[in-house]
Amino acid sequence: MSNAKERKHAKKMRNQPTNVTLSSGFVADKYVKHHNGGGKPFQRKKQEPHLGTSRQRSVKMSPQLSSEPDVNEQSSSKIMFKKKGGWKAGPEGTSQEIPKYITASTFAQARAAEISAMLKAVTQKSSNSLVFQTLPRHMRRRAMSHNIKRLPRQLQEIAQKEAEKAVHQKKEHSKNKCHKARRCHINRTLAFNHRQRKNIWLETHIWHAKRFHMVKKWGYCLGERPTVKSHRACYRAMTNLCLLQDMSYYCCLELKGQEEEILKALSQMCSIDAGLTFAAVHCLSGKRQGSVVLYRANKYPREMLGPVSFIWKSERTPSDTSENRQLWIWLHPTLKQDILDEIKAVCLCLEPIESSVCIPNPLLTPAQEKSQTGPDDEKISKKRKRKDYQDAKSVKKLIGDGTRDPSQPRSWVSSATGITVSHSIVAKGVLVFQGEADTEETPHHWWIDSCKSSDSVSLHQRQEAVFQLLGGISSPAEIPAGTILGLTVGDPRVNLPQKWSKALPDPERFQDNEKVRQLLLEGVPVECTHSFIWNQDICKSVTENKISDQDLNRMRSELLVPGSQLVLGPRESKIPILLIQQPGKVTGEDRVGWGSGWDVLLPKGWGMAFWIPFIYRGARVGGLKETTVHSQYKRAPNIPADFPDCLAGSRVAKEQAKDLLEMYKRRPPAKRPNYVKLGTVTPFYCPWEQLTQEWESRVQAQEASEASAPGGKESDAPVPGKIHQPSHEASREPEEGNERVLDQDASEKLVTATGSQLCVLRNRKLLKQLSVWCGPSSKDRRTPCRGHQDLTREACLSILAHFPRALVWVSLSLLRKGSPEPHTMICVPTKEDLLQLGQDQHYCGPQESRHSDPFKSMILKAKEKKKMAKKQNQGATSSEALAPGAPATGQEALTLGLWSGPLPEVTTHCSRTLLGFVTQGDFSMAVGCGEALGFVSVTGLLDMLASQPATTRGLVLLRPPASLQYRFARMAIEV
Amino acid sequence: MVRFKHRYLLCEVVSDDSRCRLSLDDRVLVGLGRDTTARVHGTFGAAACSVGFAVRYLNAYTGIVLLLCRKEFYQPLWSALPFITYLENKGHRYPCFFNTLHVGGTIRTCQKFLIQYNRRQLLILLQKCTDEGEREAIQKAVTRSSLLEEEESAEEELSDSAGEATKATE
Repeated sequence: MSNAKERKHAKKMRNQPTNVTLSSGFVADKYVKHHNGGGKPFQRKKQEPHLGTSRQRSVKMSPQLSSEPDVNEQSSSKIMFKKKGGWKAGPEGTSQEIPKYITASTFAQARAAEISAMLKAVTQKSSNSLVFQTLPRHMRRRAMSHNIKRLPRQLQEIAQKEAEKAVHQKKEHSKNKCHKARRCHINRTLAFNHRQRKNIWLETHIWHAKRFHMVKKWGYCLGERPTVKSHRACYRAMTNLCLLQDMSYYCCLELKGQEEEILKALSQMCSIDAGLTFAAVHCLSGKRQGSVVLYRANKYPREMLGPVSFIWKSERTPSDTSENRQLWIWLHPTLKQDILDEIKAVCLCLEPIESSVCIPNPLLTPAQEKSQTGPDDEKISKKRKRKDYQDAKSVKKLIGDGTRDPSQPRSWVSSATGITVSHSIVAKGVLVFQGEADTEETPHHWWIDSCKSSDSVSLHQRQEAVFQLLGGISSPAEIPAGTILGLTVGDPRVNLPQKWSKALPDPERFQDNEKVRQLLLEGVPVECTHSFIWNQDICKSVTENKISDQDLNRMRSELLVPGSQLVLGPRESKIPILLIQQPGKVTGEDRVGWGSGWDVLLPKGWGMAFWIPFIYRGARVGGLKETTVHSQYKRAPNIPADFPDCLAGSRVAKEQAKDLLEMYKRRPPAKRPNYVKLGTVTPFYCPWEQLTQEWESRVQAQEASEASAPGGKESDAPVPGKIHQPSHEASREPEEGNERVLDQDASEKLVTATGSQLCVLRNRKLLKQLSVWCGPSSKDRRTPCRGHQDLTREACLSILAHFPRALVWVSLSLLRKGSPEPHTMICVPTKEDLLQLGQDQHYCGPQESRHSDPFKSMILKAKEKKKMAKKQNQGATSSEALAPGAPATGQEALTLGLWSGPLPEVTTHCSRTLLGFVTQGDFSMAVGCGEALGFVSVTGLLDMLASQPATTRGLVLLRPPASLQYRFARMAIEV
Repeated sequence: MVRFKHRYLLCEVVSDDSRCRLSLDDRVLVGLGRDTTARVHGTFGAAACSVGFAVRYLNAYTGIVLLLCRKEFYQPLWSALPFITYLENKGHRYPCFFNTLHVGGTIRTCQKFLIQYNRRQLLILLQKCTDEGEREAIQKAVTRSSLLEEEESAEEELSDSAGEATKATE
């Protein structure tokens, strides 16, 4: 019987009387241990009197007779009624004699005891039912469950007791208001505000909360994944249709000031090696969005802060460069604090200013703000930093410290539009407002003002024309990456379609259109990137003058012809928005442009107004999980989990490890993989530091042994090839040795300066070189470009000298079976593996042999010790018993199936040498096989590539943490 | 409720030999009941009774036994009970007979009946008693059982209707 069933049965029987046999009392004191056995001791005991005494008795009956009644009486009088409803014979019941005569008193005693036992059984309710459930059906009343007075009076007391139990008590309504009052708008808003004290809600929160699994992350409430089954549907939306995501949890930093000043400050934080910086020509003109990886000032390869994207506000007129420029930096909330601090430091902002600037007063116009902060700045700088007076005067403003400013634009990435549709959704969902110079009084003064000048009207018309043209391209990936287009649009709620429909492109309309081709070639003209969204004042007024949904619906209901188009006329809002093209997949050779789309930046408060129309035009909404999938299929690192060298990345990894460990511990030991036996040292996190360190020391050791070996060979071996190499090296030694020493010095300095931190290789030149080397065989392709060296020792060494402990982002695709998962190990295949793969087409891969688990016995021992200690504690309470208990509890931290204590050498722990770890991995629906993304040690990678033959270069083995099977995968570095 | 319906036979084992009480044991009783039914009612009767046949309660001091069997086939067992004339254990036979006190549908009704029955027996005993010492002891027992009477009276009203009680005579 299962344990639960037993318990249930025991509960039911706890008040029932137990059997009373004559033997039970006797057995109870003689065989204490077999108390429950009943049967066995009974038999044994039986034998004694029958074999031995039965005859005796027949003979010696008379002498016993006199004493027997007494003994009998004694024994039976000791029969006590046990509390549990059982019987118990007293300890004096040692008389092995059978009661010969029944006296009236014993008889009466026995009856009385039985009566009381039965009474107990009858009166006490032993089932799980409530009192009124014991009543016969005709006596039950509906109100009994809550009104005790409905019960028969005798039962009321028991029912009272029952009702006082916590389980049956009603949940208290803490609010003193009635339901209707609580649902009233003001109170609801208050309650909502109260509920988002800790984690801020997005504007679309309520919409999401009804349809998504919500998680509290990074100070926001975010939708993690839809509650409907939609993995594949979301993938289809990414490739063919449109996937919509609310990205307004991204933070925006605004920098204002003179162009040179900003560039000078920010140039310290990024390096030209890692790609385009803030000063890229296209970005600086405000035509394109740029993305860049920020580092701590002047610490380029190390101390990464995080990836950001940025847009410059375009200058209206190219002549006035002295004008203050505006820069928006978009970044992930986890990176915000670090980057903000660093930017403050770089821009020489002083603490008090920031506090005044970062929480902008919504009542101030920008001009006022500027004038206010200007003197502030001066005062403080005078006080504190006289030297930097000049610098401080060029005001740099930081906005966006508060999680969301009232004037902050919100962004949505309708990423993935892969193709047209998203884009046609954008095109249809947002109808461009026709600008007319209307002099009527409307709340939208700014629009009228701007319409007064013919300049802006013409600009608006041009923007509209460009937007119409965008309908002609088949994919947003066709236009230049990061293109920005500013627009002013009408209220999208007004022309909301009646029904949900898919917006499909109609390329016929735009066929052989010269203008479309021109757009594709030249991109959006610079003037068209202008948008009023840059102006805080206008944004604020747009937000404030939004017609509420309630009013809009009322107006709709008042229409003369129900369902006809609502014409608001001049009262219709004009919303400045910004469209930014997302390039999608830019690296690699296949599926270029996959997952491209548009970011839509809206003024605050307009989130839901645009959200619903987008959905009505056929967009599918995704959560955080879809973001991850999107970035995985794009083979792009996911922010912030795939940035192990930045603070936020390591924090996220730690949290994830904690969560996974908790999940692991929640399962019974027999139902979870024993990672020690599987040879997985770190199943929940990736020990990057140790990995890179070990590879560094490995290569150094190799070098040392090689350096000594050729020396010996040079003396005696006459083989010319072998002599040649060392001699060559020897000849170079004087120059190169110096160089290397210098290099090493430099690198050591770097290492000591940064405290042996690891870094991720982002130098584009090196990455390109590595990706060429990683290719299957360099001979198959055309000879590599002039800039690329061959894979030689010298080239490797020069890289290693600069990056002794570096990681590199690689993408892996499995050759045959297998779908990798996060924390999968990337290993170096041995020569035999590759040989076997060449011979056998269906060779899946080698297997890791089972490891032994040295911790299991330790855990068992600890357990036993604990048990012993417990027993000792129970038996004799002494201080000695406590002493062994203490270490046992200390060792309890051991978990069965996990490696404990300091890690062994991770690289050589298994039969194949470890190269790196996978951070994202799954079956890729875009490619049709398992795909993984991860980091490998650069040192290890070079070592592996050098030893592999050219035909099989770039082949690695993957092994998930819970499996012994290695699988072959091809590695590629995509730049 | 969906359940197997049972009949409970509340019997009293009456025996002159006190050793008989010693050998009162559930396994012995089960075997005895099955054998007797087989003897009286043949294979069909034995098979009919053997399903769900058990001893739910027994008290060697008072000789009270509570037998359980399925409602559909309790009659073969019931009718076989008078044919039990001896208790056999370890090769020894003790003459005895079964006195069926009550047949009930639940343990509860049987327990209630038993309380009544025991109380009545005690009163009879008290009336017939002649010895002074014993009289005192019995009186003590009676008061002890009647102290709990208040609780019990509340219980009686509660579900008298629960079991259909057929009182069996010897």
